[in-house]
Amino acid sequence: MKTYTATGVPLWEAKNLIRHTPPESVPITFRLSSIGARFGAQLLDLTFTYGGVFLLIILVAWAGIFSWNGLITFYALITFFMRVPYYILSEMVWNGRTLGKRILGIRVISLDGRRLTPHQITARNLMKEVEVFLPMGTLMGGAGLGWVLGLILAAWMLATVLVPVFNRKKQRLGDMVAGTIVVDNPKPQLLPDLSVQAAAMGYEFRTEHLAIYGRYELQMLESILRAPPKTPEARKHVSEVAQTIRRRIGYDEKLPEHREWDFLMEFYRQQREFLESRNLFGDTREDKFHTAKGPDKRR
Amino acid sequence: MNAPAAPAERIRSARFRAEREAGWKRLDDLVRRAEKRGAKSLGYEEALELAGLYRQAMNALSVARAISMDKALLTYLDALCARAYLVVYAPQESLGGLFTRLMTRGIPQAVRRSGWPLLIGFLAMALGGLLGAVLYDLDRSWFYTFVPGSLADGRTPEASAEYLRSTLFDGGGGHDELSTFATFLFSHNTQVAILTFSLGVFFTLPSFLLTFYNGLLLGAFWRMFDEKGLGYDLTGWLSIHGVTELAAICIACAGGAQLGLAMLLPGDLTRREALRRRGRDAVKLMLLAALMLVAAAVLEGFFRQTVTSTETRLAIGWGIGALWAAWLLLAGRDRAPQGAPA
Repeated sequence: MKTYTATGVPLWEAKNLIRHTPPESVPITFRLSSIGARFGAQLLDLTFTYGGVFLLIILVAWAGIFSWNGLITFYALITFFMRVPYYILSEMVWNGRTLGKRILGIRVISLDGRRLTPHQITARNLMKEVEVFLPMGTLMGGAGLGWVLGLILAAWMLATVLVPVFNRKKQRLGDMVAGTIVVDNPKPQLLPDLSVQAAAMGYEFRTEHLAIYGRYELQMLESILRAPPKTPEARKHVSEVAQTIRRRIGYDEKLPEHREWDFLMEFYRQQREFLESRNLFGDTREDKFHTAKGPDKRR
Repeated sequence: MNAPAAPAERIRSARFRAEREAGWKRLDDLVRRAEKRGAKSLGYEEALELAGLYRQAMNALSVARAISMDKALLTYLDALCARAYLVVYAPQESLGGLFTRLMTRGIPQAVRRSGWPLLIGFLAMALGGLLGAVLYDLDRSWFYTFVPGSLADGRTPEASAEYLRSTLFDGGGGHDELSTFATFLFSHNTQVAILTFSLGVFFTLPSFLLTFYNGLLLGAFWRMFDEKGLGYDLTGWLSIHGVTELAAICIACAGGAQLGLAMLLPGDLTRREALRRRGRDAVKLMLLAALMLVAAAVLEGFFRQTVTSTETRLAIGWGIGALWAAWLLLAGRDRAPQGAPA
């Protein structure tokens, strides 16, 4: 009876959210990271690894430990260990976060709801070689290629880069092989319960007043109430909301301007109590169209 | 039917929240500490508490979804549970234990499970070698097509037998670039191996071609030396690290073939699922290839220049090859074979 998408998240908030079922079988919600954040994390990681290698090389060269040839050998070995192994080890030690990911607050999680296995981490980072390092290398050293080969390479690179843009879970090829996704680090923030805040007395809503709206409107009102108006326009907006609600529910008392906020607060409290209690009896009112049966009448 | 309550009296979902809020805050606290300093920083009591509070929070989330319409509360609990979940279900293997398990069971078992892909890998190399030698016989200019100038390093069909012999035995006397060349080859080979592996996902073909091309190179090279009567010596020169190195490339190709076969022949599974399942062995094959490449680089660095007798070179090269084979065929057989281990 609820309008749920395939991810099991209500339709109006489904974009970029993913329902994840841990072994406790209570689905929890993660927000998929934006392509921009992932790109940024990758850039940061590249900067750290190659910057580190560069500094180390300069240091070693300055200290004069190796001959020129030794230096090149050293460089080859270091870059080998700074590429795929860096990502594998850091994601293993920090549970799905490289340095860049840590800074940007994103992380890798396993799609199956279990803990991230070493296999998954290895698989997704091995594929990074094709998706990130190879295009990079080709971009830097590809001038000598013939144009046919260049064109094929360019098309293929574009295709791999576009894979995460064009699938719903924003998985790159490595994520698909490993069964992982990249999500934002959840940030719990506990806001006060609006229904507990002292509200002005004097408003009594009857059942017919409260039977109009549903959950969606209630939560919209909640978000309005969580940001008290500071500017005259915002105040005007709140006043419009209050007057609209008063009209719509047929509340027959006059509503002076200075009492509008209290009115909304009290209405929120009683509306929530009413809806929650209806919900307990199995009468879920998703939105204000709850009286009109049939899914096509929903928003 | 629903008489308005006095404002002081809380509604049911608010009471629900007030009763549990302290526990959530405590959980938040523990999770933050574990995130900052690692789960090891928690004491025994605290770790127990964390697990208990996590389950309670999960339970509360489930109940809150059913009874509360407070969006802020639902969002908070959702995020709190997600965060705690990430701490509770973190990888628990130590790196050392992981490595031991991989070496004693994971890799050898994966190799024994991948007969067909390994056949593809070695076949690609062998066919390439054969074709390379045959084409070289037909027309020597093929050599220049196969072998890039930087790799040939003066070793071309026109070079004299003496020069070619010197590249095999002098260990680079006056040939200072040779050690650099060895390193170049190492990073070149790792890249080839990684490419061979990861391109396999495109229906095996790129892996096969890359390995085949490696074979071509090898075949033409070998035939060129052989023509000048140096075939045996070249075999020795190549064997010392090549047995390990070329096998590594074939194994990387086999790993790629695993991925490619999952895409080509997924069977009853979806392609993504098949990729996920075959990926387990494929990744282990690739790790093996990387390990062998590092070993080959060490062999090359230490022995190729110092050991100059062809017989010793052959003995070392193939002896180490036999060791690899023994490890891969014999290790991890202690238990009855089971489904794919983690």
